[in-house]
Amino acid sequence: MNIPNLIEAEFKLVYGEIFRRRSALVSMIIYPYLFAGFTLFFGYTIGSPGLFMERVGVEPVVFMITASNMVMSIINTVDDVLWRPLHDAYVGTLPYIIASPINKLELFIIIPVPRLLLLLITGFTSIVPIYVLHYGLNGVVLALTVISLTTFGALTMSTLGIIIAGLVHTVGESWRILNVVRPLLMILVGAYFPRALMPFAAYITSMFIPSSHVVESIHRILLGDIGDVYLLLALAATLALVYAPGGSRSLLYWEKKKVSEGVKTS
Amino acid sequence: MSSAIIVRNLAKRYRVKKRISLLRSHTEVIEALRGIDFTVNYGEVVGLLGPNGAGKTTTIKILATLLLPDSGEAYVAGYNVIKNAGEVRKRIGIMLTVEKGFYGKLTGRENLEYFAALYGLDRVRSKDRIDYLIRLLELDKLGADYKLLEEFSLGMKARLSLARALLSDAPVLLLDEPTLGLDPPSARRIRELVRDLAHKEGKAVLYTTHNMFEAELVCDRILLINKGMIAAWGTPQELKMRIPKLRVIAINIKGEGRVDRILESLGVKYEIKSEENSINSIRIHAERPEDVFNDVVRKFIASGFEIVSARIEEPTLEDVFIYFSEGSL
Ligand SMILES: Nc1ncnc2c1ncn2[C@@H]1O[C@H](COP(=O)(O)OP(=O)(O)OP(=O)(O)O)[C@@H](O)[C@H]1O
Ligand SMILES: [Mg+2]
Repeated sequence: MNIPNLIEAEFKLVYGEIFRRRSALVSMIIYPYLFAGFTLFFGYTIGSPGLFMERVGVEPVVFMITASNMVMSIINTVDDVLWRPLHDAYVGTLPYIIASPINKLELFIIIPVPRLLLLLITGFTSIVPIYVLHYGLNGVVLALTVISLTTFGALTMSTLGIIIAGLVHTVGESWRILNVVRPLLMILVGAYFPRALMPFAAYITSMFIPSSHVVESIHRILLGDIGDVYLLLALAATLALVYAPGGSRSLLYWEKKKVSEGVKTS
Repeated sequence: MSSAIIVRNLAKRYRVKKRISLLRSHTEVIEALRGIDFTVNYGEVVGLLGPNGAGKTTTIKILATLLLPDSGEAYVAGYNVIKNAGEVRKRIGIMLTVEKGFYGKLTGRENLEYFAALYGLDRVRSKDRIDYLIRLLELDKLGADYKLLEEFSLGMKARLSLARALLSDAPVLLLDEPTLGLDPPSARRIRELVRDLAHKEGKAVLYTTHNMFEAELVCDRILLINKGMIAAWGTPQELKMRIPKLRVIAINIKGEGRVDRILESLGVKYEIKSEENSINSIRIHAERPEDVFNDVVRKFIASGFEIVSARIEEPTLEDVFIYFSEGSL
């Protein structure tokens, strides 16, 4: 297969959609600020920064901008693989994709990459300045570490995202289910709500989400406790790989289901 | 060589759940295909004709691996469409609804590039092929290189859609109403191309259309399908011979005289319509009109009439279509 070609094609498609739609581009850039701003605003109305420091151990502004970035990147991966089949069905490209000889797992793993790269860049405009403000020049190194880990965390999400996408889209009106799945994932990933503070059931569930381990490793780095970080990252990568065959099956199941109902062509 | 498309006893029912109330629902069954058989060979264009809802798109979708049949078998390029869908997909070019199926924020060329990657073309082949197809379909003149798809007219989309079907140079083409809504030049361009693809490049083409004129021009053979069954098949000429409508001599003559007497002396069945400025329009029914044609013309001239026009009228493909789809129209 020609994966580089496919990556290039996806880049052109996604960037075409983003850069030729001004609103999409603008929202992409200001989103992390809005996101962090809102959470900070609500945070301050609930408790003081001091209390936050005491509970979580990280400066709230640093924590929130990091969390916004992590959530955006991680959810981006899930979103892209979840929404793409719906979008393709809507614009009518789905039958051509299904009837093409492409390996669907490869395609779906590549789908979130272009937008992720853009998010990486917004990391430089949001995380880096804040970190430098708080940690001085050391903040640059820290920020780069956090950005790379966030990207890694987002990537580990694709196989699980694909499993969910494949299963969810076999049901009619799947977008209704997506509206439940997304916020749930957003919380369970633990970016805003550190895993250690979660109720037991949520804690256990989050263990099965690959990127939650990356999120925890970033939190530990911010707390200056880097002992088990490698272990957590390895765990995330392993989980992602473990989900790969499931992702492939899930897509196959989805395709079978679509074909047995008949892929809509009009 | 084995046939490009083999369809045996193919049947498909759609089950549509109709909700009566919150708790009760019943399933309505639509028999879209009731066991059809046909083959398409390499190098020929086969037209799939039939009234709305006859099952044409259903057939195309099954062959394109986009729909599972309930029973029967279908092979495309030697592979079973159910068990070997992956192999079939490497060997088909498809064209479905013309208005949809592209990305609006990409140019025509970018759209083709995207699908070329999907169909596994490498960069060099992709570029060459797209250059070639854009020129072939005259998309360059229409601005496919810089216009976004959302700015495309229907005809441009149709051309682009055919270009996509041809991207991977697949040996089997499945085209569902490729000329729907096109202006005459666009439709002609597509017709010529489709014929060339089959006759010069040896591709197998299955083609649906509602345009009888077009079907007659493009298709080597025609399958008439009605209510999910094949009602008739053959070359356009064969099909016309099969309907009981007699062929007719249509003749317009000018002059004074007893037209009916002349016709009676010839011993033929006829209808006369008198028109303005002493022109009579006559229709003569005969089993073999060419046998009496000369006699008729000679007789009228000998009787002092002027022949305005005279020709033998064949049944049209439209007559064939209406004859075989009777009851559903
Ligand atoms: N997805 C579907 N669900 C339920 N019924 C369907 C579906 N698709 C088609 N049908 C029904 O199956 C029958 C055959 O439809 P099909 O689309 O194959 O007809 P067609 O010959 O392509 O007609 P047209 O000339 O209008 O395109 C019709 O009665 C149609 O209503
Ligand atoms: Mg149809």
